[in-house]
Amino acid sequence: MRTRREFLTLTAGAVATTALGSRQVAAAPKALTTVRESSFIKAFDDYFAKTLLPEYEKLTGIKMSYEAVSVGGMLTRLTTIAETKSGPEVAMTAINWPHLFDASLVDVTDLATEIGKKLGPWHDNVLDAVVVNKKWKALPWGNIGQLEVYRTDWFAEVGVKKFPETWEDLLSAGRLLKKKGHPFGFELGHGFGDNHGWLYPLLWSYGGREVDKDGKTVLIDSSETAKAVDFCRKFYQETMLEDVLGWTDVNNNKAYLGEQISCTNNASSILVVAKRDFPEIARVTDHGLNPQGPKGRYHIINAVSHAIMSHAPDQPATKAFVRWLYDDKQMSRWLASGDAYYAPFLAGYDNHPMWNSEPRYLPYKESLKTSRLHGWPGPAGHALAESVAKYVLVDMFAKACRGDATKDVIATAASQLKQIYKAK
Amino acid sequence: MVDGRDFLGRLRRLYLPLAVFLVLMLFPFYWMLITSIKPNRELYNARIMPLIVHQPTLKHYIDLLYETNFLTWTYNTLLVAVVTTLVSVVLGTMMAYPLARMRFPGAAVVAIGVAATYLVPQPLLFIPMSDIINRLDLGNTLTAVMLTYPTLLIPFSAWLLMGYFKSVPRELEEAARIDGASRLQAMTRIVLPLCTPGLLSAGIFSFTLAQNEFLYALIFLAKSEVRTVPVGAITELIRGDVFYWGQLMAAALLGSVPVAIIYSFFVEYYVAGLTAGSVKN
Amino acid sequence: MAVGPASLAHPVAGRPFTLKGVLEREGVFSWLMLSPGVLFLLAFIAYPFFYGIFLSLEDRRVASPGVFVGLANFQTLMGDAVFWQVTRNTFVYVAATTVLKLAGGLGMALVMNQRFRGRNLARAFLLLPFIVPTALSTVAWMWILDPTFSVVNWLLVHTGVVAKGYSFLGNATLAMGSLIVVNTWRGMPFYGITLLAGLQTISPDLYEAASIDGATTTQRFRYVTLPIIKPVLIIVTMFSVIFTFGDFQLIYALTHGGPANATHVFSTWAFDIGMSAGLLGMGAAVALAILPALAALIVALTIYLRRE
Repeated sequence: MRTRREFLTLTAGAVATTALGSRQVAAAPKALTTVRESSFIKAFDDYFAKTLLPEYEKLTGIKMSYEAVSVGGMLTRLTTIAETKSGPEVAMTAINWPHLFDASLVDVTDLATEIGKKLGPWHDNVLDAVVVNKKWKALPWGNIGQLEVYRTDWFAEVGVKKFPETWEDLLSAGRLLKKKGHPFGFELGHGFGDNHGWLYPLLWSYGGREVDKDGKTVLIDSSETAKAVDFCRKFYQETMLEDVLGWTDVNNNKAYLGEQISCTNNASSILVVAKRDFPEIARVTDHGLNPQGPKGRYHIINAVSHAIMSHAPDQPATKAFVRWLYDDKQMSRWLASGDAYYAPFLAGYDNHPMWNSEPRYLPYKESLKTSRLHGWPGPAGHALAESVAKYVLVDMFAKACRGDATKDVIATAASQLKQIYKAK
Repeated sequence: MVDGRDFLGRLRRLYLPLAVFLVLMLFPFYWMLITSIKPNRELYNARIMPLIVHQPTLKHYIDLLYETNFLTWTYNTLLVAVVTTLVSVVLGTMMAYPLARMRFPGAAVVAIGVAATYLVPQPLLFIPMSDIINRLDLGNTLTAVMLTYPTLLIPFSAWLLMGYFKSVPRELEEAARIDGASRLQAMTRIVLPLCTPGLLSAGIFSFTLAQNEFLYALIFLAKSEVRTVPVGAITELIRGDVFYWGQLMAAALLGSVPVAIIYSFFVEYYVAGLTAGSVKN
Repeated sequence: MAVGPASLAHPVAGRPFTLKGVLEREGVFSWLMLSPGVLFLLAFIAYPFFYGIFLSLEDRRVASPGVFVGLANFQTLMGDAVFWQVTRNTFVYVAATTVLKLAGGLGMALVMNQRFRGRNLARAFLLLPFIVPTALSTVAWMWILDPTFSVVNWLLVHTGVVAKGYSFLGNATLAMGSLIVVNTWRGMPFYGITLLAGLQTISPDLYEAASIDGATTTQRFRYVTLPIIKPVLIIVTMFSVIFTFGDFQLIYALTHGGPANATHVFSTWAFDIGMSAGLLGMGAAVALAILPALAALIVALTIYLRRE
């Protein structure tokens, strides 16, 4: 940091110094800003910005403001905030970000314990995502789950009345459906979530793992991984379209609502949009849990959480706001505005009325029990972020689907993971 | 004058290639247009011919204008683009002129240094840049981007104009100086008018880049009221994995077609540059 | 700044020492003109520039202090197969789009340079792909390149030429080709309009003279047009190359480097490593890896342009 300051004083110094003086007078919190990625559910964003924040402003006199960051831009924004130590005091985090930004986040263990006592306990699988070195660095808000979204009418046409329980059964159904002109569409390209959303669970359910708990032993090169890869190739070749190899997150929504595919892995956004614009598709759409493999059933965790930035000039005041936000009186209403898109990690909300409005959302709650963070059982630190950013797992599967040999794609992934985890 | 062979020649040299260029360049805009007036149900329907709109609707335009801050974003974008363009072209001209036409100590260093600004890795530039912006207390103000865009555009304008300034014969300037004009007068009265097309190119480029820029705007303009069109539209019209296609396309058209029409008035000046050149010759 | 006519015709050495005289000296005048721009760039670019270079020499993770590691980041890159794939992709992308944009842009300028009705409007509308924000135009391309909705596929399938449409973004080769097409579409108008401006500075007398001498159209182009627009042509190409090397949004939105890294280029890969993985040092190293190539290009052009 010192060096960067020096550069600044040397170069932009003349311009900057005048402004610098005035800024260093730390003020009592006259204002607090929260930054979040713009939510898929507009009503959820609006409830926060137009109802909750004004309420708190009225209550305390602190000027509350809200920043919405575009989809995919949150991590960039968070990086800028942490690096320049300025900007919003409360920030949204996802995946394993609390681990990446550890040094820039306030310890909120006290708040987490308090909330856990009142509304919890917390589901313990979320701890991987937010607890860093035994300290809570963010408060989980809700999971954006990934499930199988499928056409009940087309599945019924090929004699499948209930969503298949195993990957093999799903493959059999897919074969029949593709012949009828209703292929599957599972993302195998470089999107943000719909690829990892099914590929990690697939790997796990066949017993494959990227890396061990110790974060040093790379486990990808195994017969279990090979089975998952072989299955994936078959699954792709016999049920899907070539285009899925280049898909990003938007494509499966588009293809499903365009009636191009009969099944995909996604959050509930497809059903929500179908209900709004395509009621006849919504009627024949349902959600299924990820199928089981030989070694069980898994789902992915993407815990949307809120963290307090350590540059916040008045941390107690910032904490007070977050405590207020996570009080049942506020939390309950805000969750309800989210249309069950966010599944809370607190046992106290397992029977919340938000789940009653639409039984088809219930599997998202159900799936929490078998959800794991990316890279599980490995540690959730920087190496995981690197593996995810480099699409090591996705590309391993994608190359196999393209036709590369199983042992080659696994060898490539293994050497990449060894470099990333600095393993021998 | 117009006989059959003439027409065939014109067809080959002008109309045919012109038609090809127009179709290739404008087809995506046709797509934007039909997407912006198609109801969602029709957009997603693969069974009907995609190039025809069966039940046109203005809903997307109405939603864009009434449910988002589109007009504010447009105003912000224009303001930023105009200021940025003026700053960049004026400073760029001032740099390009001596670099292109004079010999002085340090010229080569400056010329290389200006171009070297592009060697800075853009995707990582914004961290130190936002440090500067924060220290100047300019976060969430349009001034932030008005100061940062010229860092991209001054070097560009300078280099582009160097090319045009070079093409003006030195004798013209020398003749003017013998007639008693100062260096500044020779520049503003002789060389610059001859380079009007170049100045316009630099201006058009700066303006366009300023109104399209995404990364700095995303980072520095975090509140809806201060956003520019691309960032505002992307932030509020792409939610999760759901795109508001019609509104996005309406925003694309409303943000670009008026600019093209304004440009069509400016392109007249290309001809003005031409006449000025031939008279002096 | 108005300067009188005094002693302008005299050589520098014999000039009396007055303020006006000093201002008229090439060096003084030049530096006065240069200084505002130079100071502005120094204030805003110098710090980020050195910061970027410095970062690439560190093992620097986001939100944590860095450790100086010398050239270790670059060494790691040299041993990374993906780095070489990304390098290859980048050069293919830049070379293909530059050739297409240059050829197409020159053609466009030659067409636009002729007289016809509605010329101004046509010129301005051909600029549209360049005017419309890339962030938004790529959204339209998502549909145009969709195998089901693509007009190309729609025509091929409905006329019975092929049974199944092509996957423009799912097939590795087609995906790169598609991105090249989109980039060319967006960038060609810039070449077109800039070269048109270059063409317009050519006096019609020159063409007439050449015609009288019996030159053919090709000869006129080669011996009259080309030499005059060459400086502009070269500068436009240089900038386009630099910008294309840094092209980010289009690829990031359409394929994000997929399928299986087939379309990852320096800028998108650097962004993923620097931002998504939080490895700021390594990300800077990736972005700076093209520095030698670009620096050579820039130095060569500077020398060319300053040569008389």
